[in-house]
Amino acid sequence: VGTMAATPESISEKVTESIKLAEEACAENPASGECIAAYDEVEELSAAASHARQKMKESDPLETYCSDNPETDECRTYDN
Amino acid sequence: MAICTVYTTHSLKSTSSVSTPTKTHLGFHQRQVIFYSTSKKTDRRGSSEISCSAGEAKTVVIGLAADSGCGKSTFMRRLTSVFGGAAEPPKGGNPDSNTLISDTTTVICLDDYHSLDRTGRKKNGVTALDPRANNFDLMYEQVKSLKDGIAVEKPIYNHVSGLLDPPELIQPPKILVIEGLHPMFDPRVRDLLDFSIYLDISDEVKFAWKIQRDMAERGHSLESIKASIEARKPDFDAYIDPQKQYADAVIEVLPTQLIPDDNEGKVLRVRLIMKEGVKYFSPVYLFDEGSTISWIPCGRKLTCSYPGIKFFYGPDAYFGNEVSVLEMDGPFDRLDELIYVESHLSNISTKFYGEVTQQMLKHADFPGSNNGTGLFQTITGLKIRDLYEQIVASKTSAPLEATKA
Repeated sequence: VGTMAATPESISEKVTESIKLAEEACAENPASGECIAAYDEVEELSAAASHARQKMKESDPLETYCSDNPETDECRTYDN
Repeated sequence: MAICTVYTTHSLKSTSSVSTPTKTHLGFHQRQVIFYSTSKKTDRRGSSEISCSAGEAKTVVIGLAADSGCGKSTFMRRLTSVFGGAAEPPKGGNPDSNTLISDTTTVICLDDYHSLDRTGRKKNGVTALDPRANNFDLMYEQVKSLKDGIAVEKPIYNHVSGLLDPPELIQPPKILVIEGLHPMFDPRVRDLLDFSIYLDISDEVKFAWKIQRDMAERGHSLESIKASIEARKPDFDAYIDPQKQYADAVIEVLPTQLIPDDNEGKVLRVRLIMKEGVKYFSPVYLFDEGSTISWIPCGRKLTCSYPGIKFFYGPDAYFGNEVSVLEMDGPFDRLDELIYVESHLSNISTKFYGEVTQQMLKHADFPGSNNGTGLFQTITGLKIRDLYEQIVASKTSAPLEATKA
């Protein structure tokens, strides 16, 4: 496991909840449609969480600041 | 480009101005013909005919199929980078839009064509992999419209809420990439594709990747990751996996053979399987086209650390099709290895020496940059650029020849 940015709280909670629900749905019949659909939801939310982490990792604090304040000393760039 | 011809059968009196095509903000042409006539509409015979040949404005459509969590988005970022310009979500729209737009390329995610939202799928006990959860009629209609140069209102599937959000307007791009679980499932959609790619990740590697992705996530355990893969597997095998037989290029990711019993999923054996006889696509080869070659670049000219790098190239059969296979096993340690390898590959459709290496360097932080996944994804991106340029060239030369005759 490499360096991970934290998942946004809202998604992280949903992932945890969906796993719990899937485990319950599969307790009775692991081959049922409900069980399979529940684990599909787990996968979908895990993928969404990973995409959100990726997005957060990419956001550089200075870059974010500079896109809003391009005229400040620390952000000004001249091509020539 | 839309070629519109105006035939005015009579009347010098009528001043007709035909405004074609309208420029959109994408700098591309929409098929929209506005016809003004200032003459009195008394003479019925003085009608003007406008014929537009729809075939000319064509967008090139690429299909990319892969399971979720198999590196589609990394591939997409590499592909759009080859065409230049950063791909970004549509400005000012839904923040959860799955679409990526750059100057030349628009990438749409086929999850947007789910016919059942998350609650609907749960109620019916089906997964997103199931064709019953997808609206292939709408997918076909909208991809066809975009290919013909007509903008569409495409729904948005929100991955966080699991709901279908209000649609967004998609303008016809130069290159349209449809990525998702089912780009080659419906025969009508498949026929619209100018090129198709399938990312085939072996079960061992998929498991290792999902552990890397999810283990840090609260609530996930080895068991829940395993259970999720197992639960989706029957639908994956029934509906997703068979699509690979239609792909023009398949990127297979397998465990390495250089280290016995390796299951970490860090060292990978990656195979690029290229169909022969595809129009505008000539497969990459190593040293000599059509021969079978095993090559270990490590030696006097190149120092490699454990476990080294091994290449394979040769003809093969894949689902009854004749293919060429290029395989790389092992990781790159340093960049000089890559330029050495690149210089021995032919038909990679680069515009200058070292372009593959340069593209890989640009995204050294992407997953797969030190092994065959990044290398073959980049090469596939260059092959798609080449294919696109050939299609455009053949389209513009055809009408020219017609006027000469």
